[in-house]
Amino acid sequence: MPGTETPLTTEVFDQLRQAMAADKAGFTELYREYLADAWHTLDQLREAAPHRVEEVRQRAHYLRSSSLVLGAHTVARLAGLLEEQARTSVSTDNDALDRIAEALREVQDELAERLGKGVIPADKTAA
Amino acid sequence: MVTTSIRVVIADDHPVVRVGLRNMLQADPAVRVVGEARDGVEALELARTLHPDVLLLDLAMPNVAGMEALREMTAGNLDTRTIVLTGLIDKRQVLEALQLGARGVVLKDAAVEHLSACIRAVMQGQYWLEGRPVQNLVQVLRDLTAQTAPTPRKTFGLTARELEVVALITEGCTNKDIAKTFGISEETVKRHLTNIFNKLGVGNRLELALFALNHSLLPVAEGH
Repeated sequence: MPGTETPLTTEVFDQLRQAMAADKAGFTELYREYLADAWHTLDQLREAAPHRVEEVRQRAHYLRSSSLVLGAHTVARLAGLLEEQARTSVSTDNDALDRIAEALREVQDELAERLGKGVIPADKTAA
Repeated sequence: MVTTSIRVVIADDHPVVRVGLRNMLQADPAVRVVGEARDGVEALELARTLHPDVLLLDLAMPNVAGMEALREMTAGNLDTRTIVLTGLIDKRQVLEALQLGARGVVLKDAAVEHLSACIRAVMQGQYWLEGRPVQNLVQVLRDLTAQTAPTPRKTFGLTARELEVVALITEGCTNKDIAKTFGISEETVKRHLTNIFNKLGVGNRLELALFALNHSLLPVAEGH
């Protein structure tokens, strides 16, 4: 992989946009749902970390799954690392959650630039 | 010309993933999504009632996990062809899925690029792995089997009896316990230990136990 990892994989975003060309509002809504769900999952991860490792593992896997499908590669990679840490350790690293939050915010900024502010979930617009 | 759509069921516990996949597939006029399942139980139910041509199956789902659902699909002689969706390539998991009857494996981050082609290939009787149709499944299975075979345990020159002694030491057995277990004298146990310490370069029982754990010197328990 090249060293310049972008928050959002352009190929995935463009192909998905092309596939949903007839439903532009639905395309924005899909990414808004992704962001809302990802932030919610991150909150759940913060509640479960660092010791409820099985819950952390499941939530991290869940976050990785949607991030992969929608091209949020960095979030997916960081969630995968957390998932692996939860699988093999008795506690997880809280810094990992901060890194995921940072990556998710970058994805959100990128999406806002590409799709407009409307893609940002309502409770995140002031953040 | 009248063509029949390929009827697809999507099984993934994540609603955003299901919506994403459904929208990807809607762009393909040859494919029609006829159902969506949130877990393995629903996936099996939809496969039995809707008889889709293809089931897109996430392996990590609640209730009945994807692999278990695949096992039941195969046991139930359902005609549906299953394509496994996964976040990363775990060769052991891929091998197991193929052995259980999966016809293709698609990485989630490549779904938008490969899913339609994979579904078409599978409907033409082909298998799909690593982003392309597979020409020689037997060779793939052979390679995967070789790659996932456990590596032989390194013994560091220890004899079979010395390995048995190491196993008992890590369980916390005393020399007396070990002597009793093998029906040998404590002197013989001490001799074994001296040999073991020399071969492994350790100085005491604690170091030996740590060495054994760190170097996988202990026999793997059955069923794990």
